[in-house]
Amino acid sequence: MTAYENAIEIKDVTKRYDGFTLDNICFAVPKGCIMGFIGQNGAGKTTTIRSLLHITDIDSGEIRLLGLDHIKDETAIKQRIAVVFDELPFHDVFTAKDMARILEGMYPRWDHAVYAQYLERFQLPTKKKIGQFSKGMKMKLQIACALSHDAELLIMDEATTGLDPVVRDEILHIFMEYLQNGERSILMSSHITSDLEKIADMVTFIDKGRILLTGYKDEILEQHGILKCGKDALAEIDAADIVSIRTNSFGAEVMLHDREAASYKYRDCVIDPATLDDIMLYYVHRDRKEWS
Amino acid sequence: MMRLYRSLVFRERKLARKRTLLMLILFLLVALLMLMPLLSGVSMEPGEAAPVEMILLLVGTVSLTGGAMAGGNNGVQKADISAGWKRYSFVLPPTAKQQAFADLLAKLCDVLLFGLLSAAVAMAYSVTTGYDASGLMVNIYLGAVCVVMLVDVVYSYILMFAKTKQDLAIVGLIALVGVSLVMLVLDFLSNTIKLPDQPAQGGALISDAAFERFVTALSAGRTTLCVTAVSVVICALYFLVMWRSHERREP
Repeated sequence: MTAYENAIEIKDVTKRYDGFTLDNICFAVPKGCIMGFIGQNGAGKTTTIRSLLHITDIDSGEIRLLGLDHIKDETAIKQRIAVVFDELPFHDVFTAKDMARILEGMYPRWDHAVYAQYLERFQLPTKKKIGQFSKGMKMKLQIACALSHDAELLIMDEATTGLDPVVRDEILHIFMEYLQNGERSILMSSHITSDLEKIADMVTFIDKGRILLTGYKDEILEQHGILKCGKDALAEIDAADIVSIRTNSFGAEVMLHDREAASYKYRDCVIDPATLDDIMLYYVHRDRKEWS
Repeated sequence: MMRLYRSLVFRERKLARKRTLLMLILFLLVALLMLMPLLSGVSMEPGEAAPVEMILLLVGTVSLTGGAMAGGNNGVQKADISAGWKRYSFVLPPTAKQQAFADLLAKLCDVLLFGLLSAAVAMAYSVTTGYDASGLMVNIYLGAVCVVMLVDVVYSYILMFAKTKQDLAIVGLIALVGVSLVMLVLDFLSNTIKLPDQPAQGGALISDAAFERFVTALSAGRTTLCVTAVSVVICALYFLVMWRSHERREP
């Protein structure tokens, strides 16, 4: 087994579609980290995930998973990773028991005991047909399957979308447990940023096929701030400090790149911390600068 | 490796279970119908000539039915696209070759099952009438498997271009057109095979001599060899198409 520093390394990856381009994207997920992959619908999250899983071919660039080439070492990689999609890809006629029988032959490290534990924990029936499962149960089954072969890397594409907060919280808790030995990593794409704020160590933000931000979540949150001021005070703010400005009937809210520097520069103004949601929102409107 | 193929074949068999069961019931009904003469007491006296025409018709019908059911599309490919398994299979460890080989194994399971059942019917006739219809049965059965499997190869090849549920409708339609074209070509080829120009008597479509030659040719070991060779080629074709289908990435 190869030693690796980054569970995922994406370098200069480009994938062109008619009307959309994943443009030269670069980011890395260090071993032992949970990386939140955020962006609005159609930003390129799923295309990136499909590219790194070799569901689709890329036009240029390099992708390494667990230190291995994503095409050349595809089989070796796929024995050591797990993937959870937004919708259950299992046939309705199967049962949880059937899925174990199918997957145990595919994964050399499949562990029946672990699978049984997850089924019990999630209270999933073993003999009921999957077609009769609720959405939450389907997602739990997919996660149970993903976590039962000792995967070193878990990749999730909008896995928590459409689930109620209780189920989401339960699932996030499982992911935290899963990461505890420090050898495992997670890439989790979502537009529910509150989930990522809870569990992610790092965040990558993609918009219109380009990576806008990537780094440690706490650093990103610390760096950014929202300055609140009247519309007349806007002229005093240096344009280079601004991501974009949201105006309303009471005044303006300005997203700043560097909260610490801004707090010295604009001493009279209040600068609030930003959430991932805020950062996403203001970056999406960065081209217009001023929006409401 | 055995564990992997067991898993893959189990998945296919389980998915196609309903279809196989239905085909089995239909086959058994046809077989029962064809066994009626035996069940109603047709037996041969020593020295009496076997009713070859009847045996040819009954065993031939059973073999044709069995072959058509064994070689037909089992619907798994379409179900995989519909459920999203097709996309999921790209992130699973089995290679495209291994998945294609499992597809072929699952198909051969059907061929073996219906082959054994057809052979049982032929054997029942052989035992009762003393006429050895095993060569006839094997050749007709394998011939039917070949034709239907060739149609399946074309259908599966065209279906390969569908990746999502939405694609299925249009690609499924194209596949049906493709299959119809293959049927037309096969029909054209069968019409170009000329039967001997000997006049038939008593309003029969074919003379006794020509019929004899036809049955002899159909039961001959040489024909078995040819049909087996064609079967191997079609199995290889099926494997290649399935391999390509599992290997082909989404756009």
